[in-house]
Amino acid sequence: MDLEYTPSELMATAGARELQDGEVVAVGLGLPVVATFLAKQTHAPNITILFELGVINPEPVHCGVGLADPRVWYRANVLSSFVDILGAILHRGRVDVGFLGGLEVDPYGNLNTTLLGDPRGTFRHMVGSGGANDIASCAQRTIIIMRHEARKLKRAISFVTSPGYISGGDSRAQAGLRGGPSRVITDKAIFCFHPETKQMMLMSIHPGNTLDDVLGTMGFAPILPQHVPFTDPPTNDQVRLIRDVIDPKRMYMG
Amino acid sequence: MTKVTTLVEAVASIPSGAHVALSGFAITRCTMAFAREVIRQGIRGLTVSQCVGAMDADLLVGGGAVERLIYGGGSLDRFGRLASVNRGIEDGSLVVEEYSSLSIAFRYLAGSLGLPFIPIRSLRGSDLMRRIEERTGSDIAAVTDPFTGESWPVLKPLLPDVAVVQVQVADAQGNAWIMGPRWDNTEQVRASQRTIVIAERVVSGDMIRQDPERTIIPGMLVSHVVELPFAAHPTSVYREYDYDAEQIESYVEASRTPEAFQTYLDQYVYGVKDHWDYLDKVGGERRLSRLRADLVLGY
Repeated sequence: MDLEYTPSELMATAGARELQDGEVVAVGLGLPVVATFLAKQTHAPNITILFELGVINPEPVHCGVGLADPRVWYRANVLSSFVDILGAILHRGRVDVGFLGGLEVDPYGNLNTTLLGDPRGTFRHMVGSGGANDIASCAQRTIIIMRHEARKLKRAISFVTSPGYISGGDSRAQAGLRGGPSRVITDKAIFCFHPETKQMMLMSIHPGNTLDDVLGTMGFAPILPQHVPFTDPPTNDQVRLIRDVIDPKRMYMG
Repeated sequence: MTKVTTLVEAVASIPSGAHVALSGFAITRCTMAFAREVIRQGIRGLTVSQCVGAMDADLLVGGGAVERLIYGGGSLDRFGRLASVNRGIEDGSLVVEEYSSLSIAFRYLAGSLGLPFIPIRSLRGSDLMRRIEERTGSDIAAVTDPFTGESWPVLKPLLPDVAVVQVQVADAQGNAWIMGPRWDNTEQVRASQRTIVIAERVVSGDMIRQDPERTIIPGMLVSHVVELPFAAHPTSVYREYDYDAEQIESYVEASRTPEAFQTYLDQYVYGVKDHWDYLDKVGGERRLSRLRADLVLGY
């Protein structure tokens, strides 16, 4: 019998599926950690995991409240620094995949984690960049993980903290940036980017949702291909790994 | 000559208006006892810098000691946002220069190496870059790579007057070990004019000489050494003690309004005469001993 799974568990397994064995992955806490550990414990045992503040390949046994929590540094191969991780590994071009989340994303995958409102008028300041802008600028590709809501998937965002494809076409390359976002994974669907215009394009819809569910809850119309399949659901083994081994206290999966 | 001194004296060496680099990252190794003493001494107009804004910077901003913050964004992790920093940015009372983590780390790195500027791939095509460029006397410019002809953003070095760094162990000369990840601390110390070391314990020079490869801060860069247990409380120090979740939560609660924050300051900063008095106020030895790190886990 198939186990019931939550939208978060499906997002984590979709994220894990994007990672290939041997890749170097820069992650923040939350869903990306679950996705990356899941990949490492299944099809991609040789993944290298990086935390920006100076942590390589930790093997935590307790969940942490953030990257600053020593619980998530436990049994690391290396404890070093920003210049080591974001400099010598990321800036040098050795990060294959970076996971990013945010307050808002636009059709070109530009991300806002800085403020909501009018930056020249009334606004609420939030978290800012941390290493997100560096990862968005320097990783070979990025995977964006977002809740699927109209106030988060927007035509125009308040502030570009981390560039995606900027204004589309070749504008990202013109700005001197490598890589770019390869996927946007939400709790309703997965998107990729059109090879030329670099606009978000619907790739698959999560089981239980309709095309109207997806399009009706976003602030812009993505490119629609002729045929949109359903996203593969998590396997029983993946769900068990997430619940029993990776996030038993449900700290990352909410 | 020993550099060991009191927190009061070390803090008194910092003039109002100085540029201070702080060692905290979110809720770990924050210079909390230092921040409380700065506020008590009424030092004002500081420029504070760090790669990721942390609880030490937020307390200093809330306590009215900071005029300008140079940082790469930040939070108190799951506990919440930097409410005093954010309020200052929103109402314009705090001058903020906001970058990414690596841009600040590179600015310290350039400072530490005595370089005139440092190129970076980050920031391009972002509103972070646009905002930094708009400032008068902007610390960002563009140069053409003389070898390839490519255009690169370049950043000015950061040269703080003093770095204040929370460490586990130091000797009386200031040779200091930092256990665990060091984020921007190595470069902060080397870019700064001088460094104040706040150590959980001061050990003999012989102890340092037994494992000198652990020494992150060379004593030659240090002006003051302060020995102060639980100086980072309520934030954590790897292999020494865990963060105090209850105390961080009450700080977050108090940060919701300026009035509540003033009550917090009256209670935990102005209402105590020194760090020992503070430790008693937050529960004394009985409570603090429960935060002691497990030696295998490090937390």
